[in-house]
Amino acid sequence: MGRIPVSYLINRLITFMLTVFIAATLIWIIPRLSPVDPVDVMLGRMAAGGGSIENSDAILTQLRQSFGLDQPMIVQYLLYLKNTLTFDFGLSTASFPTPVASLIGNALPWTLGLMFISLIVTFIIGNLLGALMVWENTPKIWKVAIPSAMVFTAIPPLLSGLLLMYVFATQLRWFPLTGAYGLNVEPGWDWDFIVSVLHHGFLPALSIVIVTFGFWALGMRGLMITVQGEDYSVLAKAKGLRPRYILYRYMIRNAILPQVTAFALQIGGLVAGQVLVERIFAYPGMGKLLYDAILDQDFPVIQGVSFVIILMTALAVFLVDLIYPLIDPRIRHEM
Amino acid sequence: MTVLEIKDVSIDFPTSRGVVHAVTDVSLSVPQGRRIGFIGESGSGKTTTALAAMRMLAAPGFVSAGEIHLNSLGKTDILKLNEEEMRRVRLRKIAYIPQGAMNSLNPVMRVEHQIWDGIIAHEGAVTQAELQRRSDAALEGVGLDPTIVGRLFPHELSGGMKQRVCIAIGVCLDPDLIIADEPTSALDVITQRHVMQTLREVQAKIGAGLILIGHDMGLMAQSVDDIAVLKKGELVEFGPTRQIIENPRHPYTKELISSVPLVGGESFLDPSAAPKAAGGDSATPLLELKGVSKRYGAVTALHPMSFRLDGAVPQIISIVGQSGSGKSTMGSLMLGFNAPSTGEVLFRGQDVYRQHAAEKLAFRKDVQAVFQDPYACFNPFYRVNHALKFPFERFGLSEGPDHTRAAMEDACRAVGLAPETVLNRYPHQLSGGQRQRLIVARALMLSPKLLIADEPVSMVDASLRATILKNIHDLKDQHGISILYITHDLATAYHVSDFVMVLYKGHVVEAGPPKEVIGDPQHAYTRLLIDSIPWPELDRDWGSADDARAALDKLAEVDRRPDTVYRGSVPGFELSQG
Repeated sequence: MGRIPVSYLINRLITFMLTVFIAATLIWIIPRLSPVDPVDVMLGRMAAGGGSIENSDAILTQLRQSFGLDQPMIVQYLLYLKNTLTFDFGLSTASFPTPVASLIGNALPWTLGLMFISLIVTFIIGNLLGALMVWENTPKIWKVAIPSAMVFTAIPPLLSGLLLMYVFATQLRWFPLTGAYGLNVEPGWDWDFIVSVLHHGFLPALSIVIVTFGFWALGMRGLMITVQGEDYSVLAKAKGLRPRYILYRYMIRNAILPQVTAFALQIGGLVAGQVLVERIFAYPGMGKLLYDAILDQDFPVIQGVSFVIILMTALAVFLVDLIYPLIDPRIRHEM
Repeated sequence: MTVLEIKDVSIDFPTSRGVVHAVTDVSLSVPQGRRIGFIGESGSGKTTTALAAMRMLAAPGFVSAGEIHLNSLGKTDILKLNEEEMRRVRLRKIAYIPQGAMNSLNPVMRVEHQIWDGIIAHEGAVTQAELQRRSDAALEGVGLDPTIVGRLFPHELSGGMKQRVCIAIGVCLDPDLIIADEPTSALDVITQRHVMQTLREVQAKIGAGLILIGHDMGLMAQSVDDIAVLKKGELVEFGPTRQIIENPRHPYTKELISSVPLVGGESFLDPSAAPKAAGGDSATPLLELKGVSKRYGAVTALHPMSFRLDGAVPQIISIVGQSGSGKSTMGSLMLGFNAPSTGEVLFRGQDVYRQHAAEKLAFRKDVQAVFQDPYACFNPFYRVNHALKFPFERFGLSEGPDHTRAAMEDACRAVGLAPETVLNRYPHQLSGGQRQRLIVARALMLSPKLLIADEPVSMVDASLRATILKNIHDLKDQHGISILYITHDLATAYHVSDFVMVLYKGHVVEAGPPKEVIGDPQHAYTRLLIDSIPWPELDRDWGSADDARAALDKLAEVDRRPDTVYRGSVPGFELSQG
């Protein structure tokens, strides 16, 4: 396979760090363009909850101080950069005084688990079905069934989730309605807990898979048609290779390459989760956290979640850049 | 002994507009060890017939009548085999060497793996050592070093090497028959000779029959024993090469032979036409290159060169060379698509790469281009009228719809197309030759001062080449347009041009009037180019495989002395290296 040159590695690493830096800066600037003052929002929430507020000016000043809002902009920015790079996103304004980092820390594993599994399942199923739509040896029945199944792609994930909930949770009672694990199990690395998590995760995962596999299948279909017309596919047949071998080693192997890049880009979006899917299944992941934070105008949480999303995207792209030369030898030539 | 027998085969393609009879009643047999050439233009059914023997017709084509017998399978008709039985025939009995050398190998697999998978598919479990031994032998057989080439990926090979790998794959199971589908059409003449000689050598060694599909009568004359001439799906003439070349009976065969332009042969142009003076200001040259060079990273595509084309009297300047010689780089520099690394390209005294928008617009009108691929030059969503009309109106030449219409019709007639048959059509409804002529017509409508034609005829059938070149030549005589003709084809350059520059690795190695440079080459590289052309004359020796290899070694010598040999000049054009 040959080694990846150091210059290529450094190049990609610098790109990665620059992306993260620029993204962090943008995340800092954009909320400051908003006319909403988070401290006012907090005060408003307190007022709504606890009736009258004594010496509100003092509280305001103190809050502004604790969030560092009384400092000059540049100091705020540098302080923010330092904190962000150490994953210190400050305190949530909605669930004050919980640190944003611990909110994210609690939500991230759930989202990663749910989304990563459904993304991989979707990627495999979608690409395989897309390839089968083109392959000349696919049974006729499949060639009819696969495009028909694509109808699901047109359903919004929200709706498919509700549909699945109705059929499998409410009517058939095969799966629990909401939540990430049952109330009767203690979180921990034991068998009961894992089974409970898988049981609870099945419906949300399925609702994501059935609405997103079409994206991969359609993309793969187009790529496969191109590859099918390539001279190397013709020569493979003329060599008398077995049809399945041609399908995997000549056709899918080449058609999948652009899909791998698309996969990396999806990983970033995956951290944000299917916001609505998490919402309706009351799944305690990043999507739900972000959804609630937006409703509550909880800026530190929004900032923290946005940063994690960008970090994950940049990281995924960086990793794919590293893996890509191993799966496509032509890339090595260019570096 | 007969290896393959094709009996009364007809092939049909059912389409929505009725059945197309691609091949009608073709009968032919291929004896062991003999080389048969299938020649004809595109659409003649030569490839279709050969693919029928592989049972690899593109959908919806099918063999509607006839039988194909492979001797080593006894009396069985291979058209009656099931898919699995047919799979076992491919490569083991009938090997196929494809046309697109550039893209025939799986880009993500090492070369030797692509030989191994063929062996495994037919012989099942074979030990690693045995696979290695056989792939090494196959690569050695085509003159490639297995210890290096075997471990490489396809993109690390040159076009000629890739095609030799395809030959190695084809012969690794000692097939009865090799079908080679225009195996050298993507290669330059020097590489073509090497690959063709290699193919003949390995075919003779294993004693297989060979079907060589092609459209070049010269290549056929030098490569095969018998020639089958196909026209519109029918076998119009079949016989030994000598008889076909020296005493063709069918008029179509005669036409194919005469369509090969020969160096020193009769011109297909009308020599009496006198060029019309372009007029204009002769003090500022039309096109001037001052010390222009181009580097891509560490690679120098074009070494510094200067020339001056006055343009007062229109001329055709040919730039000839192999792929990678820098000839297309020159074209894109002159069109202002690329910035030169050093020096400047001046059109009427203005640097073409540094122009204001208004100057650029005038430049685009005055300098038109014709490119190689007539299929890629049209937007498939518009009727061809759009391609003709749009620039004409955009440059403000139109005086109204009727005027535009008349101009379009005149331009079509000027390139020998009947306006009613081509206008209002979509590009895919026209043939490659019609499209390329429309591109010339489009350029003509703008009455440019300079035309840059980059391989304008390399993708059209031989019989049309002469017509299109004649169209281009007429632009000079009748419309006073100077032309830069970029090509790898020395014979056409010989006929159309007033001055020829031979480019090799970015250097001009020989330059002068075509009668001198191509008719009587002095530089080693030009001589090699001329020697490598396959002539449709049997007594003219094309050399052996060893000659072809020796020729490649000679090129290394040229690398050390890239001096220009000047062979005289023509008025109005000055060339200097540096």
